[in-house]
Amino acid sequence: MVDANPSAIQNEILSFYLMCQGTAAVSYPYSREVRLVTDAMRETIKYRMYELFKRGYEDLCLDVVQRSFKFVRLEHDGGVKLKNIEIPREDYFKLRDMRLAEDGIEIVDDRALPQYVPKYAVRWTDLALLMRYRRVDLTKLYVIHGWVVITPRELWEIFANFIGVKTEEYIASLYERFSESGVPSKLLDSVGQRISALIPPEVELRERFRRIPMGRLRPEFFPPCMKKALGGVGTGVRNYAIAVLLTSFLSYARVSPSGKVATRMADFISDISIVREEIAPLILEAAEHCNPPLFKDQPQEKANVYYHLGFGMATEPRLEDSGKSKWYRTPNCSKIQISAPPLCEPDEFCRSRNIKNPLTYYYKRLAEQARPHTGD
Amino acid sequence: MQFREATPDERKRFYLDEWNKKDLPDFILHTLSLREFGFDYGEGPSHRYNQFMTIEQLSDFLKNRAPYAAYASVALYEQPSMRKGWLKSELVFDVDAKDLPLKTCGCSGGAVCEKCLDEARQIAAMFAETLRSDLDLRNINFVYSGRGFHIRVNDDAVMTMEQTERAQVVEYITGSIVPTDMTMALGYSQVFRDRIAKTFDRLDEQKLIEMGMRKALVQQLIKEKEKVIAMMRKGKLQDLQDFSGMGEKTFGQLVDYLMKLNSALTDGKVTIDTKRILRLPSSLHSGVSMKCVLVRDIEHFSIESAIPKFMREGK
Repeated sequence: MVDANPSAIQNEILSFYLMCQGTAAVSYPYSREVRLVTDAMRETIKYRMYELFKRGYEDLCLDVVQRSFKFVRLEHDGGVKLKNIEIPREDYFKLRDMRLAEDGIEIVDDRALPQYVPKYAVRWTDLALLMRYRRVDLTKLYVIHGWVVITPRELWEIFANFIGVKTEEYIASLYERFSESGVPSKLLDSVGQRISALIPPEVELRERFRRIPMGRLRPEFFPPCMKKALGGVGTGVRNYAIAVLLTSFLSYARVSPSGKVATRMADFISDISIVREEIAPLILEAAEHCNPPLFKDQPQEKANVYYHLGFGMATEPRLEDSGKSKWYRTPNCSKIQISAPPLCEPDEFCRSRNIKNPLTYYYKRLAEQARPHTGD
Repeated sequence: MQFREATPDERKRFYLDEWNKKDLPDFILHTLSLREFGFDYGEGPSHRYNQFMTIEQLSDFLKNRAPYAAYASVALYEQPSMRKGWLKSELVFDVDAKDLPLKTCGCSGGAVCEKCLDEARQIAAMFAETLRSDLDLRNINFVYSGRGFHIRVNDDAVMTMEQTERAQVVEYITGSIVPTDMTMALGYSQVFRDRIAKTFDRLDEQKLIEMGMRKALVQQLIKEKEKVIAMMRKGKLQDLQDFSGMGEKTFGQLVDYLMKLNSALTDGKVTIDTKRILRLPSSLHSGVSMKCVLVRDIEHFSIESAIPKFMREGK
């Protein structure tokens, strides 16, 4: 909980922004760091709401919730009513029992029971963002005339999830901003590294396998511009598509640098075969598909590829060469639109998720694919 | 009613003599300049990225070109002619008579008749009822498309929804997910029970046997169909499981089968596609020589209102 004084509140707000910016400085959207931060946010909000309710500040909480969700209280007038609509008694108790069962509670004391009893209703349309992120499922909600009947506990969860999702979106937008402006400040880097160090190793390992990142590339989740570049392009945008776009995109997507500001690939990989056998062949193949084939036409561009990967002017990359040049970040969509307009043909996902960087597209597709179907 | 392809001359006559801007629904008329229009001249709806600033422009275009088919986007854009600056999209459901999972009319694949069109109409009406009563959506329009019905929802609260949310609405109104508790009196549980009961009502013995059910049980279920349907509607699912020869496993298979059929009642791909173009109400469906019309009263829709003059004269 935060003390009720302006200075403590100010510190709290500044900490939040510092945490988000630090996370965006050292990781990518939907990374383990982002997950850690948004989970922590969600838990904090849920705990605070629980505490405030317990201390009798229910109205204060509801006042805040009301800014994001329209809601009403159920009325107890003989039966239980929702805006003059009678909720069948058996449904009312079934809802309570379902919520208790979800939390694995068989015996509940009188103090905890009110948390599980339906008390409010929110508009289902206000839950759209949570539906989008699969944090709620419409068919799992009890909806009457557009109102979703919920318990206090569900209200805390809905609001906490809402803040969590908003935080996730905010960090994704910061990542894109940093991609545009270059290397983030040392302060943000150090905050980000401290956050990264908080990820327990066993979680890190489990998450790594569950949420993919540092692993085999999944071309089916590549954005349209990268798919186009992989298929080969014509003169005019050839060099940019291969040496700048694909090179940075494939390397970041494959290596998924996380935990510190990415300036050297060697900080994130210990085996150069990732570059030689996984990233480079895709780039070389795309270059071959170009019309005319890029490296036949301009063999010097091959060195440019490794240069953009951070291996200086090497013709065969070695780990010890990593850092000799800058490891270029993937340009934002706005830059691609200017430098290679034919490549940018946004699909539905680009539009609906308001994608601003090709990597965000990839990470988001991976995250959505890995996300369990039901709410958590 | 005979459905046949319109000739180029009939198309021309339709747009010159019969097409009227007053037949364009208000929800399109008021947002005309924000929509992308697409046309088909016989090779599919490949002429896209068209924008009309006024109804007169659209009228002139249709009268001059007499397209095989005309479409308008469900989406509103800042720049419809570039499909850029998406603002929002209608929430739409496509109930196509030719694609209904259970047809009792005997129409072969791709064909439609008045009977299956009426079945599609009933499904559209049922969906709209759930959209109204459960989800409290008010601005619901029906369009007869020629081979089925479109439900077009224009409530602001749903128009900014994206694919995932729209997909969840499809699941809700079709009843294609098993509810956490099948016995609740109201909410999704009730929708689900209603849908499986309706679909079960349309199943014949053959379908149940194809599903893998034992013949004796199938015969029993068909014999006591009314009773089974009542059990489903009332949520007395334990009674249903206790049917001789049913058991938990077979009951689960039956529910899965019904659910699968329900999920095909509407084409979910249409609903989740926020940049879809749909047949323009007031235009001619040249494939069947019927007008695509706004339906003001879905319960009393008569196909007569969609017959173009050239078809009446040719009778």
